[in-house]
Amino acid sequence: MASLFKDPTKISAYRDRRFNGTQEEFEQALLNSTTVYIGNMSFYTTEEQVYELFSRAGEIKKIIMGLDKNSKTPCGFCFVLYYSREDTEDAVKYISGTILDDRPIRVDFDWGFVEGRQWGRGRSGGQVRGGYGKLVQRELEAQRQLVDYGAGSLGTFPPVMPPHYGKHGGGHGHGGSYRHGRDYHRKRHRDDDRHGREAPKRNSDHESRRASDHDSDSRPEKNPRFRESGDSDDEEDNDNKRRP
Amino acid sequence: MSSWKSILLRIGDKSSEYNSSDDFKDHIETCFGALRRELAHSSSEILSFLLQCAEQLPHKIPLYGTLIGLLNLEDEDFVKKIVEDTQNSFQDALDSANCDRIRISMRFLTALMCSKVLQPASLVVVFETLLSSAAITVDEEKGNPSWQARADFYVICILSCLPWGGAELAEQVPEEIERVLVGIQAYLSIRSHTSDSGLSFFEDDESGGDVVEKDFLEDLWERIQVLSNNGWKVESVPRPHLSFEAQLVAGKSHEFGPISCPEQPELPSTISAVAYGKQKHDAELKYPQRTRRLNIFPSSKTEDLQPIDRFVVEEYLLDVLLFFNGCRKECASFMVGLPVPFRYEYLMAETIFSQLLLLPHPPFKPIYYTLVIMDLCKALPGAFPAVVAGAVRALFDKIADLDMECRTRLILWFSHHLSNFQFIWPWDEWAYVLDLSKWAPQRVFVQEVLEREVRLSYWDKIKQSIENAPALEELLPPKGGPNFKYSGVNGQEKTEQEQAISSDLNNKVKGRQSAREIILWIEENVYPTHGLEITLSVVVQTLLDIGSKSFTHLITVLERYGQVIAKLCSNQDKQVMLIAEVSSYWKYNAQMTAIAIDRMMGYRLISNLAIVRWVFSPENVEQFHISDRPWEVLRNAVSKTYNRITDLRKEVSSLKKSIISAEEAASKAKADLEAAESKLALVEGEPVLGENPAKLKHLKSVADKAKEEEESMHDSLQAKEALLAQALDENEVLFLSLYKNFSTVLNKRLPDASGDATLQSLKSIHGDSMAVDLEELPTMEVDDENGIAQKSQSNGGKATNNVGEKEQWCLSTLGYVKTFSRQYASEIWPHIEKLDVEVLTEDAHPLFWKAVHSGLRRLSNEL
Repeated sequence: MASLFKDPTKISAYRDRRFNGTQEEFEQALLNSTTVYIGNMSFYTTEEQVYELFSRAGEIKKIIMGLDKNSKTPCGFCFVLYYSREDTEDAVKYISGTILDDRPIRVDFDWGFVEGRQWGRGRSGGQVRGGYGKLVQRELEAQRQLVDYGAGSLGTFPPVMPPHYGKHGGGHGHGGSYRHGRDYHRKRHRDDDRHGREAPKRNSDHESRRASDHDSDSRPEKNPRFRESGDSDDEEDNDNKRRP
Repeated sequence: MSSWKSILLRIGDKSSEYNSSDDFKDHIETCFGALRRELAHSSSEILSFLLQCAEQLPHKIPLYGTLIGLLNLEDEDFVKKIVEDTQNSFQDALDSANCDRIRISMRFLTALMCSKVLQPASLVVVFETLLSSAAITVDEEKGNPSWQARADFYVICILSCLPWGGAELAEQVPEEIERVLVGIQAYLSIRSHTSDSGLSFFEDDESGGDVVEKDFLEDLWERIQVLSNNGWKVESVPRPHLSFEAQLVAGKSHEFGPISCPEQPELPSTISAVAYGKQKHDAELKYPQRTRRLNIFPSSKTEDLQPIDRFVVEEYLLDVLLFFNGCRKECASFMVGLPVPFRYEYLMAETIFSQLLLLPHPPFKPIYYTLVIMDLCKALPGAFPAVVAGAVRALFDKIADLDMECRTRLILWFSHHLSNFQFIWPWDEWAYVLDLSKWAPQRVFVQEVLEREVRLSYWDKIKQSIENAPALEELLPPKGGPNFKYSGVNGQEKTEQEQAISSDLNNKVKGRQSAREIILWIEENVYPTHGLEITLSVVVQTLLDIGSKSFTHLITVLERYGQVIAKLCSNQDKQVMLIAEVSSYWKYNAQMTAIAIDRMMGYRLISNLAIVRWVFSPENVEQFHISDRPWEVLRNAVSKTYNRITDLRKEVSSLKKSIISAEEAASKAKADLEAAESKLALVEGEPVLGENPAKLKHLKSVADKAKEEEESMHDSLQAKEALLAQALDENEVLFLSLYKNFSTVLNKRLPDASGDATLQSLKSIHGDSMAVDLEELPTMEVDDENGIAQKSQSNGGKATNNVGEKEQWCLSTLGYVKTFSRQYASEIWPHIEKLDVEVLTEDAHPLFWKAVHSGLRRLSNEL
């Protein structure tokens, strides 16, 4: 369905360099895969949160959290394995670009999990932000633009209501410091060394907007989700140094 | 994409292809100009793309129709081909019961008639063919009334064409169209009214009794009559052909050959209610009703449109949802940009919610509609969020009457939706649910939404999100940590001995002892002295604790030490104990309880029957009306069983397909070999039978291999079919057990069966005022123009408070009986005879009986 607007040949713009095979084999693997790669996740998101969200697309077989290879803590990506191809497709169609744990995540077909892929590929152990990360950001920005239509017949009318939920919804100052308490109350694992990264107050509005900023290395404010500019994990960098 | 393609695709849209013009006449002229230039060298490409556009963008059909009318003046043969292709695909669609294609082809034919490509009389012939097939179907002597679903569908298709071409038909062939309408009227008088009660969103819809709600066809018929009395004027359907009338009349009309409707299936040879019901069920699966109206907004929000406009806009929206599934951007932009001169966001919200909640199944997974609603909230930030909030409030106010399955879907949707909008919701509006009894449906709804929010996020965050109604913290789930009996803290009353076993086991696991070793250790050192109960408790709790850190930890433990549990819990009784132990360990975490049980079923440590037994154990039965916890476990177990069967069916059918090709390959190889063998070859001047030996040998081995292949496939098919047969038998046992358990617990609690037991009377047992309150409740004003909040829920909601605990328990449980019956109706129908004998006996309570039957859509008036 909807073949008019979709380019069926373009299943993923990203080519995983660890895949041993030709481009055709890679694409074939993606077409049959029942694995999705989830990127741009919060480091704090647990498997159970992933389970709750992704089981809405179908029965889940396995979840593999991406871990920082040095600290062995979650570093913002994971794999979800489904039983059926249809459910896999639905996860990509319906979950990519939506919010999990305050962050817009990206969901893509993956050629299949193999041991070793759970480790972040960045120099400092975390996941890379170049290559795939940049792609994620570009796509998410494109999706954000989707908000602005203007052209539709409903769009030409002035808004009937103030934003949010009308008269009932006003004045909920959200955001604030509540993330702060999280490490103390929540069941956490494999991440006891993270306290140092917790920043003071943050506003969740900021967070989603800033998701588009963070592939540039200079950030206006510190964000605990991302490494400081000093410890860049840009894979491109690494490669350039290795291959003159 | 080449430019003519994007021009064709974007016709009617305010887009760069058309310099943001919104004049349809300009669009058609521009597009016509572009196509005319290309027609000579890409005619076949244009033809197929044009037909694709017309099918997938059906709201643009009038534009495409006019365009084809203009092309008809240029190139008759091209348009002749369009008509022929359409005819073929329409006939295929009829033969294969492709409902969407039938419906859209007919609209397309109507548009072709408007632009003079087809004679009106040809269209009337199509109508008459469908109508006569419909009339035969519902004829009791000549037809098969159990297939009324198809007959209704055909008639709906005819009526659906009239907004697009009613005016032209009435003008050009007034007598013929009148004859069709009279025929439809006659059809309506023979067919039986479709009772929707098994599929209606609200429970009270069925109880009315005096006012029989119109079914979909009756309703559409009424809208069409109003339309006809209005001189066939429809605001929501563009009529671009009128601007080109003078040119179009010069076009040549093309022949449209006869079409035929497939024969209806024979009536079963033995006429029995069961056989009739099965056929009816099949027919309704093949020709499902496309939508069911939700009517949640006050009529002032949606009813200022003409009746037919509502129908047309719903058609537009449903088609966009159908064809743009998976294309977020296009879906949202077409949803908000329909070619109609009025606002429709309330209608849009009602339509999307009606799909999200559609029974028995929405056309797509509920999460699709979640995404569409999010995208529309972003696309129309000033208008849509308020409308969505209005829908939530309206549904919340009627939640006590909302079907159980719909409640579950609403909870899942709402929590997910809020998780995408920073969990902002004016919870203070609902803080009053704390004053309600703990089984009040509103209160349970709030509690379950919060539970799901916590699962998607985390406890502290959700606590923070309800800060405008801090008292609601009472409804938050517990913080979710494990409840380990042998943690050695909190003065647990476990003996030191048990504690010691637990830490021994823990050490053994840490020391990576094998499952085999641990089984031996248990059999020699633990079981003999402590007996089953303690052994099971210590072992299961300890293993769960080791796997408690995450989903993956759990899986790892089960994969490594599942055998230990299997050995210990070798029969159903012990499996029920095992589940109880899981539930006790994860007492504070409903999600982990459900996941752990689900995985154990996945590893076949527990059977679905054991799960059913546990769900119906007293401590769970007590929770039926106040928590989703037992129901989630039950839903998972039945759906996992169903998924296994579905997988097996898929494997069987794909094996059957490969067998066919293997057989073909084998017989071809055999034929090749035989041909080669019978060939005379000249060897040393003498004619010898058979080709040269090397080639023969090769052919022989190919033939043998192909034969082997074929045989091995037959073997695996046999094996799979045996597995499937076994799974189906187990399924029968599962449903029998489920229904028996339901029947037993309900019989104990339902008031004595009287002849006219109704749900309504159950609700009124405590507090007669309730029924009145619910009926007379003023429909809630969702966005009062003056900005004054009308909190009608304060009386509406509290009214439900009056339902007694036992009565609410019965209502909820009956609601789930209906839900399971409806959701798995196709799996249950094959076992219906057995069910009738063993469960739906005379002893079954009439309300239970009714819940099962309405879920299966097997109602007494149809028997």
